[in-house]
Amino acid sequence: MEFEELKKIWDAQNNQPLYVINEKAMYNHILSRKKQAHHITNISELLIIFVNIVSGIFVLGMNFFKQSGNLSLYILSAWMFGSALFMLVNRIRRIKGNNQFDRSMSDDLSYAVSLATYQVRISQIMRWNILPIGVFTLLGLWEGGKPIWIAIIVLLFFALTYYAGGWEHTIYKRKKRELEILQKKLDNES
Amino acid sequence: MTEKEQKQIFEDWLSQHKALIFKIVRAYAFTVMDQDDLFQEIIIQTWHSIPTFRREASVNTWLYRISLNTAIKWTKKERKHYQSETLEGVQHVLQESRMQTDERLRWLYEEIYKLDEIDRSITLLLLDGFSYKEMASILGITESNVGVKINRIKKQLISKSKKNDHYGI
Repeated sequence: MEFEELKKIWDAQNNQPLYVINEKAMYNHILSRKKQAHHITNISELLIIFVNIVSGIFVLGMNFFKQSGNLSLYILSAWMFGSALFMLVNRIRRIKGNNQFDRSMSDDLSYAVSLATYQVRISQIMRWNILPIGVFTLLGLWEGGKPIWIAIIVLLFFALTYYAGGWEHTIYKRKKRELEILQKKLDNES
Repeated sequence: MTEKEQKQIFEDWLSQHKALIFKIVRAYAFTVMDQDDLFQEIIIQTWHSIPTFRREASVNTWLYRISLNTAIKWTKKERKHYQSETLEGVQHVLQESRMQTDERLRWLYEEIYKLDEIDRSITLLLLDGFSYKEMASILGITESNVGVKINRIKKQLISKSKKNDHYGI
């Protein structure tokens, strides 16, 4: 069979709709998606910014009002504010790129790869970020003369967070690799 | 742009070009649940794209671009639906038409589905009569690259159709 005949079979479906649209459900879906933060990146970014700012304020406030003069805790709160600011700047850059619809498939894949690279980088940074935060927290506990069992619980908490961060990082890395393969397929002249 | 205007444009686009979206949905998603999921993704992207549409491209090309880009990325989504999942309690946007589908068309969709995501896009554009220039613009690759890929895909489809005489192809 020649390609023209395949095309005739294909064209015939234009007069026979394959599906029926439930319009009420469709508009409900559009409305619900407009209201919710639909992207996982969006949620994790906002969460990281919020957690870092609140924790930074809490640590700073506690240290300041107790007048303990604990330097590690001042450094820790500054580190948290810095992390929140870093995330905020990257978030603004990402959102600017999200509202473009006139991209070609190649450009769109490049954007998806750059977004995935950003997610990989952020998840890696946030994972490594746990280490200085953990160290400063433990130093703060030690300077404050807290019992050892509190330090052990805090250490366990940071270890778990570090492990979970690694799992998230692997997911983003896999997604990035898959997108790069697609991009390569598109660009390859074969 | 007011929401009322946006809705009006959306309705016009959908009534005139829904066949285009249906084809992409069927070529990229296998189960009914997945087809519904992909369709929802495409209509959301289409809805959001309306205020940025500047009429530099035709609506047909614009919708193809959005739908294909969405479908390609959708295939890499973590969660997919499976046929065994319950269909109860879920409000579906898309329902399969009760019309009898041509067996040859069913076969063609099966063959398109077997291609990788990039070749699927090219096949859909080719079957819908886009020129090499338009395809190169939608895909963001050179016309010569489009030509090379089309030759390979055409040969593949023709050779498979010859092996499937029982479909009347």
